[in-house]
Amino acid sequence: MDLGTDFIAVAGFVILFALMLLRVPVGMAMGLVGVCGYALIAGAGPALKLVGQTSMRTVTDYTFGVIPMFMLMGAFVSVSGVSRELFRAANACIGHWRGGLGMATVLACGGFAAICGSSVATAATFSTVAYPEMRRYGYPQAFSTGVIAAGGTLGAMLPPSTVLAVYAVITQQDIGKLFMAGVLPGLLAMTMYVATIGAIVLVAPKLLPAGEPRPWTERREALLGVWPSLVLFAFVIGGLYGGFFTPTEAGGVGASGAFLLGLARRKLDRAKTRQALLQATRTAAAVFTVLIGALLFGYFLTITQTPQKITAFLTGMGLSRYMVLALIMVMYLVLGCLMDAMAMIILTVPIIFPVITQLGFDPIWFGVIIVMTVELGLIHPPVGMNVFVIKSVVQDVSFTTIFKGVIPFVITDIVRLVILIAFPVIALWLPSRM
Amino acid sequence: MPAPAPAGGPGPRPFTDRIIDAIEWLAATFVGIVALNIFVAVVLRKFFSTSIPDSYDIGRQLLGILIFWGIAATSYRGGHITVDLVWSGAGPRLKRFIDVFATLVLLFVVIVQTVMLFDKVRLTYTDNVLTYDLNLPTWPLAAVAWAGDVCAVVLIAIRAWRLVFNPEALHDEHFEDKASE
Repeated sequence: MDLGTDFIAVAGFVILFALMLLRVPVGMAMGLVGVCGYALIAGAGPALKLVGQTSMRTVTDYTFGVIPMFMLMGAFVSVSGVSRELFRAANACIGHWRGGLGMATVLACGGFAAICGSSVATAATFSTVAYPEMRRYGYPQAFSTGVIAAGGTLGAMLPPSTVLAVYAVITQQDIGKLFMAGVLPGLLAMTMYVATIGAIVLVAPKLLPAGEPRPWTERREALLGVWPSLVLFAFVIGGLYGGFFTPTEAGGVGASGAFLLGLARRKLDRAKTRQALLQATRTAAAVFTVLIGALLFGYFLTITQTPQKITAFLTGMGLSRYMVLALIMVMYLVLGCLMDAMAMIILTVPIIFPVITQLGFDPIWFGVIIVMTVELGLIHPPVGMNVFVIKSVVQDVSFTTIFKGVIPFVITDIVRLVILIAFPVIALWLPSRM
Repeated sequence: MPAPAPAGGPGPRPFTDRIIDAIEWLAATFVGIVALNIFVAVVLRKFFSTSIPDSYDIGRQLLGILIFWGIAATSYRGGHITVDLVWSGAGPRLKRFIDVFATLVLLFVVIVQTVMLFDKVRLTYTDNVLTYDLNLPTWPLAAVAWAGDVCAVVLIAIRAWRLVFNPEALHDEHFEDKASE
């Protein structure tokens, strides 16, 4: 029997990867393999019953409402033109420094990501907003695209991060605490990216020319343009932190607030409202499909005892817990070459999470670490999702050029990862105050 | 993303495209209603110390409706999360084969899901599951959600048909639409 379940488990993974490589939607592939595998062991009747129960239970779970609500908030903010305003404000303040346009891009990406919650959307947006401006001032193509790719990754870390929300759902952790855990590492990332640009300026001062200084009136005007969005963000995340809202309520209030703000500032019309609603609906449906699939696959993992066996294997290797952690992170970096962040987290966390808790690591801290590792996958070769998105927007640049521009930021990310592992308090301090 | 222009240039949109648009609109409306429900519930609770009866129960049922109708829209547009490693490196013929295969598997999975969900809705009806505050039956909302899954089957079948016989009529998108400003 034991050999049978092991064989079924291995065969399940092989078929799952084959289906995914044949472009079957990740959620559907996980659901199909999960149900078929479960049926082989427990019978077709119980397996099929799981389909209806799990699907309905997942989509009507009020806690999961946080995902579409924050997506809707991001969509309203996105179609309201906030990215352009953020870049304009940051550029007006620091664009006249050497490398200032690059730094302004990082800051604006951080601000936008904090409201939007999506790395890929942030990278795509700033490819149209910041790239032409950097090129106009003679910034090299490699740097310009590299800084946007790196800046885009901030979306996965700063709250409200969709990836962190999904991690929280899968591991049954507090979504609010995970959002808060991402704040300081996200700010650290922004600071380190800015410092990296400063270091590039020090090494090659002529590489990144200074922009034109803007008059103080223009700076003030540009800053005034972004404060409503920043107030909305502070209200929503502050309300979450202070226990005023549950995460789902924070999302709903944020989405409604972004809509009302867009209307009041005449940035939203009928077409843009429709665009935002559709965008949020489709993205939420795509994520929920994977969540349903992951839960069905989870039953298969449970009945084959795969997580327990992998935990026993990894903890029985005689390695220190940090060595095991390093192994897991290397696995994520390799997987990052094959699939996107969301799919990777949903597929692997149910298997890896028991190992992490067995080794005594904090689940909230691990959420931050895993998202940071997955972020690296968004920009490192050969398949960085952000790089692909930038390439699709900026047609006249090669992949090699973008990857070249990303290298300094990849090094920065690795250093940041080491800092976060050495000092977990950076991630855990804010959640501990809730 | 705004609805793409109809294939084949200007003129009245084909009937199937209008159905697809209507389904997308319905799903998009539900996401707005869910947000509104949460917003009003929070405002009433925090500032007027009152609540909408059954706000929680109806809210979560609406969430279900939004997701199933959203899955219908997403499935037709090819907007699911996929691994494109092999597909992106394939030639046009292999790409088409992969697309048809993936869509047929998707169709099979969603048909099974729809059948099993019907069973769940039927149980909600026979067990007379009621809301907490007003004791309203929940099966009608569950049935609306199930109808979304039925629409998903129809749309995926249309997608499969078009992939095989009329691929130009499809308007695929990635799951995280690029924010266009």
